[in-house]
Amino acid sequence: MTVEKKEIRIAVTDGMLIPSSKDKSFVSAWMISLCIAVGSILFLCITKPKPYYEILKFLPDGILITFEVTIASIIVTIPIGLITGLGRLSKNKTINLIASTYVEIIRGIPLLVQLFFIYFALGEFVQLPDLTAAIIAMSVCYGAYMGEVFRAGIDAIDKGQTEAARSLGFNPRQTMFLVVLPQAWRTILPPVGNEFIALLKDSSLVSILAVSELLRRGREYASVTFEYFEAYLMVALIYLCITLLMSKAVSIMEARLNYYDER
Amino acid sequence: MTNANTPIIQIRNVYKFFGQLTALNDVCLDIQPGEKVVVIGPSGSGKSTMLRSINRLETVDKGSIIVDGKDVNDPANDINAIRQELGMVFQSFNLFPHRTVIGNLTMAPTRLKKVPKDEAEATALSLLKKVGISDKAHVYPSNLSGGQKQRVAIARALAMQPKIMLFDEPTSALDPEMIGEVLDVMVNLAREGMTMVCVTHEMGFAREVADRIVFMDQGQILEVGTPDHFFTNPEHPRLQKFLEQIL
Ligand SMILES: Nc1ncnc2c1ncn2[C@@H]1O[C@H](COP(=O)(O)OP(=O)(O)OP(=O)(O)O)[C@@H](O)[C@H]1O
Ligand SMILES: [Mg+2]
Repeated sequence: MTVEKKEIRIAVTDGMLIPSSKDKSFVSAWMISLCIAVGSILFLCITKPKPYYEILKFLPDGILITFEVTIASIIVTIPIGLITGLGRLSKNKTINLIASTYVEIIRGIPLLVQLFFIYFALGEFVQLPDLTAAIIAMSVCYGAYMGEVFRAGIDAIDKGQTEAARSLGFNPRQTMFLVVLPQAWRTILPPVGNEFIALLKDSSLVSILAVSELLRRGREYASVTFEYFEAYLMVALIYLCITLLMSKAVSIMEARLNYYDER
Repeated sequence: MTNANTPIIQIRNVYKFFGQLTALNDVCLDIQPGEKVVVIGPSGSGKSTMLRSINRLETVDKGSIIVDGKDVNDPANDINAIRQELGMVFQSFNLFPHRTVIGNLTMAPTRLKKVPKDEAEATALSLLKKVGISDKAHVYPSNLSGGQKQRVAIARALAMQPKIMLFDEPTSALDPEMIGEVLDVMVNLAREGMTMVCVTHEMGFAREVADRIVFMDQGQILEVGTPDHFFTNPEHPRLQKFLEQIL
């Protein structure tokens, strides 16, 4: 029995299809994709261990760096996104304008160009490790996207909630942290998870900046053996496995956040 | 600071504009401690705006509103402290869906008045008993009926031990069979001596509970009087017309 229920979903432009937590069927696009990805890796490594198993053994260092860039960027991005989102909702004209301009500028420039720009601009002033510079560049960019997610999520909460909290005597900050954000999480989490996945994929761009993440590791391998096709095939399959698992994790978390729904 | 002769709410020459629209037009009203005032009037007449101005959910453009000796629009006064004296009940309940019923009741006292958790919970349980839903303390609001939600909302406001309760059409969103249970709670509250300002279309409630009824139309207070006066010889033609329509 399905009860019709209004669900607030924030439209997203990138990332992955988050599997619906209510979908219990075994055969799904997600399942098929995962089988293809894992199956192909196993098949290739078993039938042609050379070069595929060799490549697979070469890549873990890169996977680790990819995770490092992704997780560090997400951690920096969430507060930037929250501040930007609140700024975009602020009634204070100056704050609003600053936040909006930041979002506008970032959205108008390709990520790769931004990475180059921030990376080399930073290099003019401070000598930072490549990895740190890459993380900062990713965060500055994704902060703007995350800002939009937070803005939409916070904006979707009924104004009555704020009014109820304020009329009890809570100040604006308490209202935000005790009443609005705990509810906004539910609408924010799926798109945040989505941004997380998009960020993981885009972290492949920092391979340009001399950071040895997954893609660059693949290229390093190929540049020695000239097995470009084989190396990039493995890289692609591993990215696919990771993003599929992440989208499942997001969907499980999403289901858990629905604990106060009608049953 | 207050005695029987000082109004606990003083609304003085208040104007509120929404763009071209004059939502409140020179509104004056004094409310005494313990008094129950029912506000009636057609849709769009400014009833909600007046009520919401009392706890500054709307800021007025002209005039002053003094609650318990403090001007709510004076930046020198802490509006959050003033609001703790004013319980507010909304038409749409506005319970916090991510907190259980008892969580809804204890959140403000524990955070704002630093009441210890167990003490706040004991108070909450006795309030829930008073509004007749102690068995629902640990469920989430989504599992309650409309009438139960509104009774929880009243209990939540009472948990802050306010001096005044403001009600904005508390029964308008309810199925007819649930209106009674909410009005009963409000009648009991009135009997206990709470100062109440209620916007409502429940004329039976107004007749039973109100010390004074206020009739508003087009942002103005056109008539103020006892229920007797209102129902036996209303003076203003627009009030007469309004009463004809709703009675
Ligand atoms: N935030 C707002 N922005 C613009 N106009 C508003 C706003 N709030 C109220 N108004 C207008 O002000 C007038 C008074 O509104 P108010 O809500 O106080 O009326 P009311 O007497 O409570 O009506 P109802 O019985 O429908 O609740 C209406 O014309 C309404 O459209
Ligand atoms: Mg109204």
